Parts: sequence; C-alpha cells; structure tokens
Amino acid sequence: MPTKPLKELKPGEKGKIIKVGGGGSIRRRLLDMGVVSGSEIEVERVAPLGDPIEVRIKGYHLTLRKEEAGSIQVEIGR
Amino acid sequence: MDSKEIIDAKDKSLAHLRSIYHEDTETLIADGRYGFISGLLKETLKRPPIERVALSDKIDRVIVNRWLGIPIFLLLMFGVFEFTFVLSGPFMDWIDEGFGWLAGQAAGIGGWFGFLLGDGIIAGIGSVLIFVPPIFLLFIALAVLEDSGYLARAAFVMDRLMHRIGLHGRSMVPMLLGFGCNIPAIMATRTIENPRDRLVTILINPLMSCGARLPIYIILAGFFFPAHAALVTFFMYIIGVILAILMAFILRRWVVRGESGHFVMELPPYRLPTITGVLTHMWEKGRVFLIRAGTIIFAVVVLIWLLDYTGALEPIGRAFAPIFVPCGFGFWPLAVALVFGFLAKEVVVGTFGVLFGVGSAMVGGAMAFELGMTPLAAFAFMVFCLIYVPCVATIGVIRRETNSWRWPAFTVAYTVALGWVMATLIYQIGSLFV
Repeated sequence: MPTKPLKELKPGEKGKIIKVGGGGSIRRRLLDMGVVSGSEIEVERVAPLGDPIEVRIKGYHLTLRKEEAGSIQVEIGR
Repeated sequence: MDSKEIIDAKDKSLAHLRSIYHEDTETLIADGRYGFISGLLKETLKRPPIERVALSDKIDRVIVNRWLGIPIFLLLMFGVFEFTFVLSGPFMDWIDEGFGWLAGQAAGIGGWFGFLLGDGIIAGIGSVLIFVPPIFLLFIALAVLEDSGYLARAAFVMDRLMHRIGLHGRSMVPMLLGFGCNIPAIMATRTIENPRDRLVTILINPLMSCGARLPIYIILAGFFFPAHAALVTFFMYIIGVILAILMAFILRRWVVRGESGHFVMELPPYRLPTITGVLTHMWEKGRVFLIRAGTIIFAVVVLIWLLDYTGALEPIGRAFAPIFVPCGFGFWPLAVALVFGFLAKEVVVGTFGVLFGVGSAMVGGAMAFELGMTPLAAFAFMVFCLIYVPCVATIGVIRRETNSWRWPAFTVAYTVALGWVMATLIYQIGSLFV
C-alpha cells in the first residue's frame, strides 16, 4: 500500500500512521499526543493561510504545522 | 553504584531493547501506553452505532472556515476591544474624578503634608486603580474566549503569519490586545508555552500603540495636521506595527535565539464558560496586577511628586532637553513632559499644559507659537511618544512576567534608543525636504 507524509494528505483523506520520524522535543510531543504508529488519522482542514493543518486522531482534534506533519508517514488505505 | 555505572547500565539496557525491537525507547513507551489504553477501551467501552457529528464540529465549519476564519477572528478581537474599553470608560472617568476630588480635599489641609497626601499618595493610588476597570474587563473577555475553546482556534488561524516573523500563533492575541493596554496584553502572553516565543512577544508589545498614547496623537495631529489628523494618527499605529515586526525578527535572530515552539496542540471541543470559572480567571490575573504593578506605579508617582515639590523638575528638564535637539524638540518643558510620560503616556499632554499654563486643547498652539515647533518636529515628537517606554506600569509587569530586572531594563533601553533614532531620522531627513 502507498505511503506518504501526512502533510501531503488533503482534507477528508485518511490513513494509518506507519512511522513518526523527526526527533527531539517535537517527536516526543507528538507521541504524547497519541500520534503513534498504527493509529488512524484523518486530515480535517487546512488553516485559512494554508498552514497549520487540523487532524482527527483517537477521536479528538489536533493541530500541527505542515513541517511537523512532514515527519509522519501515513499509509493510505482503500 | 556511582553515576558512571548507572549510565553504563542504562546504555546497555537501551542497546539490548533496540536489538530486540529495532525501535527507540520513546516509541516503545508510547506504543506500550497506547496499546494498553486501546486494550482497556475494547473491554470496557461501548460506542454508539452511528458516529454523530458533534455540535463542536459544526461550529468549527464556520469559525475556522477558509474564508470566514480571519474575518471572524478580527471581528471577535474588535468585540473584545469594544467590550473592554467602552464599558470601562465611565468607570475610569469616575475613578479619575473621585481621586481628583479626594486629592483636592487632602491638599486643602495645607503644608507639605497636604501636598504629599493629595498630589503624591492619593493621586498615586488613583493612578493604579484607574487601570482596574479595563484590566478586569479585558480578563473577563479573555477568559470567555479561552474557556470556550476559541483561543486555540485563534492560534490555529493566525499561526502562519506569526511563524513567519519568528513568533507563534498564540502571539497574535497579545499583540492585538496591546492596542488597548500593554499591561493585560503582556499578561495574556502566559498562554504561550515556549519561553523564547513568549519573551519576544512580551518585548515587542510596547510598540503596539496603547490607548493612553491616543490623546497625544489626537491633540498634536489635530493642531499641526488639521486636514489629515486621522491619517497621521493611523500612521502612528502602522509605524508601531512595522517596528514590532522588525524587532521580533531582530530579537529572534540575535538576542533571544533558539528553537521556536512547536505547534502540536489540541483543539478542544467548544464549551460554555462558567461564571465561576471566568471570575476566578479574572481575579487571579487582576490581583497580580494590583499587587505587583501597583506597588511600582505607586512608588514612581510619589517619587515624581517629590521631584516636583522640591523644584527639581525644571533642572531635570533642562538636563535632558539637549538630547532631543537632533529630534527637533529639544525644549525643557517637553523633556519634563516626556519624563512624566514615563509614568503614563496620557499625562504627556497634560504635563505640558500645566507647565505652559494652558488647557490640553491649546497644547499644540503653545508648542507652535511659544517654542516655534514645526509640523515636522511635532510629527517626530509623536513618533518618539509612540516608541519610548510605554509606561512604568508596563515595565512593572514585564519585571513581574519575566521574573528578572534584565528584560524590563532592556525594554527601557531599546525603546528609548529606537524612539530617539526614529525621531532623529524623521526630523533630519524631513528637514531636507520641508
């Protein structure tokens, strides 16, 4: 199945997290917020100015910048 | 076991785990934690068969909408302003008049004690209390925005713009609040988690032209630029914003370096704020202002009174005046007014009026006819008033919020220097053309 970075998903697209890359405090923060491999994630919308994005994960809403979403690899299902 | 043994043991365990799982420990711990949680939920949680679209999601479709997001943000900010400054206006007038009356009564006692009590102590208390209505109302409005969940959306909408200049989405609201009053604006930076982002947001806030500076523009622009008074006043705000952006850039690059804060945060569901919650927020923040900023404002008011009483003001004005000759306004009464302006910007015009024995409305005329100031010099003076030290209360709050004297001292130094350089540039370059 194809994988791509989360930042390339369009609003309404969803997928399964394969890998949370990056490093340092941002990676730890993402893991703390439930962005772990195996979770379903859906892009809800993009902010009016084009960045950051809002995603839905584990039943709640999370916002992150595209540069932060670049390190999250997602597998696009069906 | 000494520390080296512990570290060796840790490294050994890490290598061991990595050889089994081929993952780093942070991921393993997070996976383990969420694995446990999802197992637990599977056993205990029953989900409704159809997932309903929550009300919160419906609200968000409008509030952070691609086209409506920014207009709604601006509209809400405007609403916060209206609520705060319109509603607090009459209360501020009452406090002003009440303490003016009280001070007059005290001065009636006569002698130095009457003066100290009236113009020093009572006026000093009044100058602290006059900020209570706008600050408490602003905190009510902010608490409503925060508790309802909107503040996180505001950061979401504005982050791109703020990130460009080295700040954070959460810096936007404090900057806009600065147009009202820098004190609550600086206290509103507490929502910024990253200490460096927060510090820069605090340091540039004085450049956002607060309400107390408006009387200076109105009086001077009205006299010196009668046909374009509104435009000149608007120009002051624009100059402030441009300088704030430039300073944020400069500070981030050379003074407060380091990684900017990440923007991974929850957009919580909208909730109806509770009255107790809002009032608690208001009181906790307002109380801090009263105690910390209050003591500093009070002390400086009494000090300036003392200088006035002992006749030290004119020599001080004459000592400072030469500094402002390159700016086009090197006159001792203006220097005194600027020293008083350190206390609070709204007294600049009033002080000058007192020194020349004219009402506030006639100040422009006195500057033009008695000192021979040109419109260009008046413009430079307005720019200096915009930039230099906002007021002693703001400095007090910066001291309180950064918990050191280093940053309030830095703010005083950079705003005075920047103000002087800008006023000089405007006057000197302008003189070539006018």
